[in-house]
Amino acid sequence: MINFSRFELANGLRVLVHEDDSTPMAAVNVLYDVGARDELPDKTGFAHLFEHLMFGGSLNVPDFDDPIQLAGGENNAFTNNDMTNFYDTLPAQNIETAFWLESDRMLSLNFSRKVLNVQRKVVVEEFKETCLNEPYGDMMHLLSDLIYKQHPYRWPTIGLETSHIEGATMKDVRQFFFKYYRPNNAILVVTGNVKTEDIRLLAEKWFGDIPRGEVPPRQLPAEPEQTEFRQFTKEANVPVDSIYLAFRMAARSDPDFYVADLLSDILCTGPSSRLFRHLLKERQLFSSIDCYVSSYLDPGFFLIEGKPAAGVSLETATAAIWEELEKLKRELIEATELQKIKNKAESNLIFSEMSALNKAINLAFFELLGDADLINKESEIYQKISAEDLQRVANQLFRLENCSQLNYVARPAVSPSDN
Amino acid sequence: MLDRTQAPPIYQIDRLRLPQPLLHHLDNGIPVYDTRINTQDVLKIEFVFQAGRPQETKKLVARATAGLLKDGAGALDGAAIAEALDFYGSTLNIPSNMDSVNILFYCLTKHLPAVLPVLAEIILSPTFPQHELDTYILRNQQNLKIDLSKPDVLAYRNITEIIFGESHPYGYNSFPEHYAALKREDLLEHHQKWYHAGNCKMFICGKTDANTLELLNKYFGNMPVTAAPAPPFISAVPEAKQVKLHLPHQDAIQTAVYIGRRMFSRNHPDFSGMYVLNTILGGYFGSRLMANIREEKGYTYNIMSMLDNMQSDGIFYVGTEVGNEFTQRTIEEIYKEMTLLQKEPVEAEELDMVRNYLMGGFLTMIDGPFNVSEVVRTLITESLPLDFFEHWVSAVANVTPDELQALAQKYLDPADMCEVAVGG
Repeated sequence: MINFSRFELANGLRVLVHEDDSTPMAAVNVLYDVGARDELPDKTGFAHLFEHLMFGGSLNVPDFDDPIQLAGGENNAFTNNDMTNFYDTLPAQNIETAFWLESDRMLSLNFSRKVLNVQRKVVVEEFKETCLNEPYGDMMHLLSDLIYKQHPYRWPTIGLETSHIEGATMKDVRQFFFKYYRPNNAILVVTGNVKTEDIRLLAEKWFGDIPRGEVPPRQLPAEPEQTEFRQFTKEANVPVDSIYLAFRMAARSDPDFYVADLLSDILCTGPSSRLFRHLLKERQLFSSIDCYVSSYLDPGFFLIEGKPAAGVSLETATAAIWEELEKLKRELIEATELQKIKNKAESNLIFSEMSALNKAINLAFFELLGDADLINKESEIYQKISAEDLQRVANQLFRLENCSQLNYVARPAVSPSDN
Repeated sequence: MLDRTQAPPIYQIDRLRLPQPLLHHLDNGIPVYDTRINTQDVLKIEFVFQAGRPQETKKLVARATAGLLKDGAGALDGAAIAEALDFYGSTLNIPSNMDSVNILFYCLTKHLPAVLPVLAEIILSPTFPQHELDTYILRNQQNLKIDLSKPDVLAYRNITEIIFGESHPYGYNSFPEHYAALKREDLLEHHQKWYHAGNCKMFICGKTDANTLELLNKYFGNMPVTAAPAPPFISAVPEAKQVKLHLPHQDAIQTAVYIGRRMFSRNHPDFSGMYVLNTILGGYFGSRLMANIREEKGYTYNIMSMLDNMQSDGIFYVGTEVGNEFTQRTIEEIYKEMTLLQKEPVEAEELDMVRNYLMGGFLTMIDGPFNVSEVVRTLITESLPLDFFEHWVSAVANVTPDELQALAQKYLDPADMCEVAVGG
């Protein structure tokens, strides 16, 4: 159970506070309701590049990192399709430093040309490191493009190509900042060894006078229903073959999200999960196999990825996955297996409540979703899911015409490199 | 009117003490270090056997023995073990380690009585079924193939091998033929020889009580002491050689650069000073390497330096991945930063920042039962006294610019560094 208070400043900034006196630390999390889905198709990767610029100095503070480190703290950020999230952890007695820094960069950046020039290069190197110089690194590019035809989820957060990042101008930067980085488009969460009343005063003091902005309403094209099986195969210099099966699924706020999440646990979470046990251990068809559900705010996908064992064809491997999926569609799962995945869900939730930072990030996410109190309702939601729910959602998801399949086929090595 | 140019005051952390664990002994003498901090209804148990690479008679035996524990034990096969652990939402994690085998087990406290019998079978009576070993070998060979396609993995493998030598326990790398040579008898023998009560320590934390101890004693208090503990490992390293290795890598558009040298374990008198010096050079976001090579020049997404401490030795290295066109300039800048630390004392302002940053890090190390227990385990397994933590804190708080400069002259001489670059 995570107890929290919630209040809103006159400028629209939402503030949530969770007191936890078992830790000497505090976490400050600022979430901005803007992500890669808000980008233009010819300027992709911008939300993420912008996250980098947020560390390059603001109106009254030349450098973000030095003061946080001087206060004994650390900070970082992440960007995804739906949001941009900044966080600081520091000894609780120095929490005001985080308020000073976070409020100043919400007030205004310093819009330094040098920072933009350098961070464009840094992000291009990040693009190379994670997408181009890594086997299977372009997987999200290929897969997003296969699953989405209309919705901006069709490009990954890092951007479609490096030229979009290289082409970002200072004009783009200013516009983006004053459009999205406004208090009425943000959520501030503070957790740890703090008192709610102190946080209320600090929030008023540092964030109270930041003007609200006109945040444009979000109008994204809905992705039309998929009606045909899609497949793309890439021959590449990868060490071994790899397959990815993506099934379109519900948005994060849909009750069926939780059912899909449990389906992924049945298939791939833990050493007794079905795909791991049957396909990897018993039939030895895979050397690795895994599943994920996307937590996207708009409809996302259920992903199964595996690397076939040496000598196993893509066809055999794919067919084996489908056999397991068909079984889930056909047969109700047994009571013990249902109990097992619910125990697992309970355990995961309790372990996720052990760190102040985790709790802050989660509270901000659920507030963005529309109801921070969901954080305390999830356990019950999972416990109420029935075998029939699982079968129903398995039948919705695991249909060939709802599937996008990406394959990598390893090109035979030209010159085998040693070591 | 709020003056936003004025930073709020910063308060020093006044108290950094490691919460002391309770020390119990099971009937057979196994020490149990108990960090009893009840924030949630959770429990972690860590078993440490001195059964790592220094105890091997054949390459990869330690890793394979640990990796196959859960694939058959007593009358249970791998599927039954997996089912039992998963049913109670527990997690078993056996990370790869040089010196020891660490078995980490997490569960909700209420489920401990139900899962402990299974955990005991895994640790006391693994059967190492032949067919499980066969698939373990194939799977790991396949995964190795993937790893070997990554320039940063190749660079790290090469630099550790150059520093320690290819037959040293800390230096050798895995190859497909090492996996192929593993026999079931090797695993049985390694387990029989090293997984016994005389060679075991336990670290528990979270919501523990007398009942936890009773259960542990019931299932592990009978574990026999079949031999003496593993003797301390003396790390013998061939004469230092300054190798510079540049390996081409197919299609690479970035180059992984690793530059490093042999260092020492946490027991060395220079450890705390080097801990600070390494942080200044490349150990945190505001480090000199990050400021210069990422934030000033934009050559890379990330660059860091590390002090890796093993029980009986250690290494220092700088690692990064840069666009191919920046490789040479990056290498030059890395050496330039080392030389600068040798030539000029660190300014008070920078040292203050690093110190405060590290104090925040120490506070995190003692935040919550899991973190505290990890510190306790590190100290005990590295034969350090529990008050090492307080000495470490005070050494970091008191180190001077002159001492840091002397350490840079002693340990950060570019002429002593090995260098590996893998890429285009």
